[in-house]
Amino acid sequence: MREEILNLKNEALAQIMDVVSFDDLENLKISYLGRKGKINDFIKKIGELPQTDKKEIGNLINDSKKVIEVTLAKKKEGLTSSLLSKKEWFDLTIPGNKTSAGHFHPQTTVLNEILDIFKYLGYQIADGPEIEKDYYNFEVLNFPPEHPARDAQQTMFFDVSNTSFKEGQVIPRTHTSAMQGRVMEASKPPLRVIVPGRCFRYEQVDASHGVEFWQVEGFVVDKAVHLTDLFGTIEFVLKSLFGQSAKIKFATTFFPFVEPGVDAYLECTVCDGRGCTFCKQTGWSEIMPAGMIHPNVLSKSKIDSKIWNGFAFAIGLSRVVSLRYQIDDLRVLHTPDLRILKQF
Amino acid sequence: MLVPLSWLKEYVNIKLPLKDLMWKMTEIGLTTETYTKLGDDVILDIEVTPNRADWLSIVGIARELSALQNTPMKFPVVSEIASPKANLPFKINNDFKLCPRYSAISIKGVVQAPSPKWMQDYLTKISLRPINNLVDVTNYVMFEFGNPIHVFDYDKLKNAEMTIMTTKGGEKFTSVDEISYRLPKDAIIFKSGSEVVDLCGIKGGANSGVSKSTKNILILVAIYDGKLIRRTSQKLDLLSDASRIFERREDTGGTLLTLQRTVNLMTELAGGNIASEIADVKKEKLKLSKLTLSLSNLEKVLGIKIEDKEVLATLDRLNLSPILKNNLIECTIPTYRADLKIEEDLIEEVARLFGYNKFPKTLPYGATPKDKIAYFFDPKPKLRLKELMFGAGFIEIQTLSLTSEEFINKSQLNLDLHIKIANPVSKEYEYLRTSLIPSLLSAVKLNSDIKKLKLYELNKVYFGPIDQSQEVYKLSGLEVNTSFRKFKASLDLIFDRLKVKDYDIKITTVTKSLWHPTKSGVIEKGDEFIGTFGEIHPKVLQNFKIKEKVWGFELDEKTLEKLTKKIIYKAPNQHPPQIEDITLIIPDWVKASGVIATIKKSDTHVSEIELTDIYQKSHTFRIWYQDPKKTMSDNDVKIIHNKILSNLNKKFEVNEKI
Repeated sequence: MREEILNLKNEALAQIMDVVSFDDLENLKISYLGRKGKINDFIKKIGELPQTDKKEIGNLINDSKKVIEVTLAKKKEGLTSSLLSKKEWFDLTIPGNKTSAGHFHPQTTVLNEILDIFKYLGYQIADGPEIEKDYYNFEVLNFPPEHPARDAQQTMFFDVSNTSFKEGQVIPRTHTSAMQGRVMEASKPPLRVIVPGRCFRYEQVDASHGVEFWQVEGFVVDKAVHLTDLFGTIEFVLKSLFGQSAKIKFATTFFPFVEPGVDAYLECTVCDGRGCTFCKQTGWSEIMPAGMIHPNVLSKSKIDSKIWNGFAFAIGLSRVVSLRYQIDDLRVLHTPDLRILKQF
Repeated sequence: MLVPLSWLKEYVNIKLPLKDLMWKMTEIGLTTETYTKLGDDVILDIEVTPNRADWLSIVGIARELSALQNTPMKFPVVSEIASPKANLPFKINNDFKLCPRYSAISIKGVVQAPSPKWMQDYLTKISLRPINNLVDVTNYVMFEFGNPIHVFDYDKLKNAEMTIMTTKGGEKFTSVDEISYRLPKDAIIFKSGSEVVDLCGIKGGANSGVSKSTKNILILVAIYDGKLIRRTSQKLDLLSDASRIFERREDTGGTLLTLQRTVNLMTELAGGNIASEIADVKKEKLKLSKLTLSLSNLEKVLGIKIEDKEVLATLDRLNLSPILKNNLIECTIPTYRADLKIEEDLIEEVARLFGYNKFPKTLPYGATPKDKIAYFFDPKPKLRLKELMFGAGFIEIQTLSLTSEEFINKSQLNLDLHIKIANPVSKEYEYLRTSLIPSLLSAVKLNSDIKKLKLYELNKVYFGPIDQSQEVYKLSGLEVNTSFRKFKASLDLIFDRLKVKDYDIKITTVTKSLWHPTKSGVIEKGDEFIGTFGEIHPKVLQNFKIKEKVWGFELDEKTLEKLTKKIIYKAPNQHPPQIEDITLIIPDWVKASGVIATIKKSDTHVSEIELTDIYQKSHTFRIWYQDPKKTMSDNDVKIIHNKILSNLNKKFEVNEKI
């Protein structure tokens, strides 16, 4: 029996040496070491042996088993490394199958960024009606009735025939600034608010004008708000949106609902200030009209302007999107052409 | 406002190079982005903000540049008008409500001639056509000083008398440029005899203006009610250089000086003799208004301390005659600065001349607001929906809310529900849309070369009537060239991820609609209407010239948001499920939803059901059986299996395929 065991061991080692595939190796493992394998056949026979031989043969079987196990393991390692060293052709440049993922509209992406920036600064978001009263769109905002200040806000009017409304009493809002009065009169200061939304203007449609556009209005009301805070906020927001190297400058302007009035210019991100069609060759883009909230606006909104003051600003969302992606025609943003939309 | 640099330089020295000048002007509010070169002159194009009437004059802009550069102003020399040498009396019947002040004079024996070249050049440079010395002088002085001037032919005024009044409406009027108008109600006019001789503040009349035969003139520099001027000019769609000034409420103090300057130039260029005393008629003696600036408020609003000396010097440069007493600066406001009404206006004056770009930058200090504001808006639910649509492979579109009657009809929508614009830019943008589907359909048409399309939009729709208007957010999507089940998967995804369960689908019965009469339905949960989905009506597709089948949905975003359930973690079942496929023969009129609900309700151990295959009437359902406490045996499953089959048979006469 001793001889048979040694023969089995040698036979196994020889077979293992010759093996060239993982499958054959696995089969050998089963045929020698498996539950119904050859080694087990000997183990079963140990019982039949005389007591004196039992220990010796038992040890011999165990040793042979160990040698076979080790050899199998070594062979497996050898096979693995020889397989890996073989030069197999595999083309990694084959394009993948198309995923089914969709696309966000660039305006969604940029608006989310803007909302995140303001959340970080502690602002709350408000959403309000696009069908607006003249009162909130103009009167609260200190637009004198029948004053040319209204001309800049080219206004459409709703057809109010057969209703109790007076002509011009309700309009498609011309700016989300209309929400200043609504939020202020119904909320307690201090306030930090932004209002994204659609606005409407009576404009002939061309590359830089539309009947509709999106604006993000923002305002802060607190006990001692400074012009420097407004400058700082505008700079923080524009640098967050356009990068820390963005260049910003401020100019005086007039809007009835702010005093002092501020206009923020961003160095054109398309031409880096050299002058191009985006910035009408000026190198700068008017991007964030703003100012300190006019005391009349506060008092009309039931906020005591002797205690509270604030600033307000508006971001032309469509303008930011077009500057970000160098879109030279505002109509692109609402043209549902997949050749456009799949770029984002 | 066009401003020739050469003309400006007559009143103020300009040291800055052109580019710097333009930016410096812009920085203080005189927005100057463009210019044109004309010979060796530069014509600046200045955007004048509606608060500043004084900037509609060269002198007004020069005054600003003098303050900006701190250089002296060279004001034109205006000499006293000589005593009358002739006698052309006139009578103006005034109404102070319409005209708070006027200055007038008559001149006898003017001689018409072309105006001198220098004057013609200036007028040409600001796009005015030189006519003759009489007309050119009035235009020149109006642009120089900012007060409109009107010259009447003295001999054409009946009895040299005219009366100011407002129109009743319907009066005929022919302007100096021979255009006839029917005047609206409440226009300010001068009548002489029975005729309208002047549409005040807008245009003079042909019947009384300067003509070739004019020899004797009446010069009138008047101030009119700006509101009425604006209203009339808008109603007639007639803007003039004068009306632009008047609607901004111009300088009540300037009439006399303007008249003197006009007469100086007129008599110099056209001769003639002064034929009356100056009539300078005003309601009350002009009192200059005072405005006080507190230095502490200045610092509070600006956020920095500017030296008192610098503040005073700045206000002085602006001719505001500042006097400092106890930390308060009292300013006297010149009549041409009617825009300065409150303390904040003075703060802006100091800040803008200090230079906005010299300010440090800070962020608001203090606690962030605690209370939830009115109109509070949480963008997350909409963003979540957009993410789900993104994951389901949809491309987001953003389109306009304004639409056309043609578009509404093409989509078989009810025009009566649409809110209408009274003054649309064009027919294309006349109504607010009540559905997002038409825009999506035109997107399908626009991309008709692409075979597989999945598009969506999340935006507002609007329902009339205008006095009970509603604005509602909708999530709407379309899928082209796909099977119903593939399309339905996107809807299932939304409901699954938002944890909206147990909703009903009801077949629609509306015949004229966007939706297919039999292959569309509404989704409801209890009383809540969630939305509509199904195939788009073939007629609508035909109207849009779309050849493929289109599936779509339009869901009410607010309702989805309301029904969305919070995710609450459940520990996964540790015992493996038993899974089996059952193939059932489902007759027509039996809804899959009913079959699935019946299987589900048959036993609590049915943990999941999936319809894996449909072949003709055979539906194969894969069913997961799972017990939270133990691994189920084949026999456990057998019992439930039989229960399911018996329930299905009882309820729908549905049987297993053998």
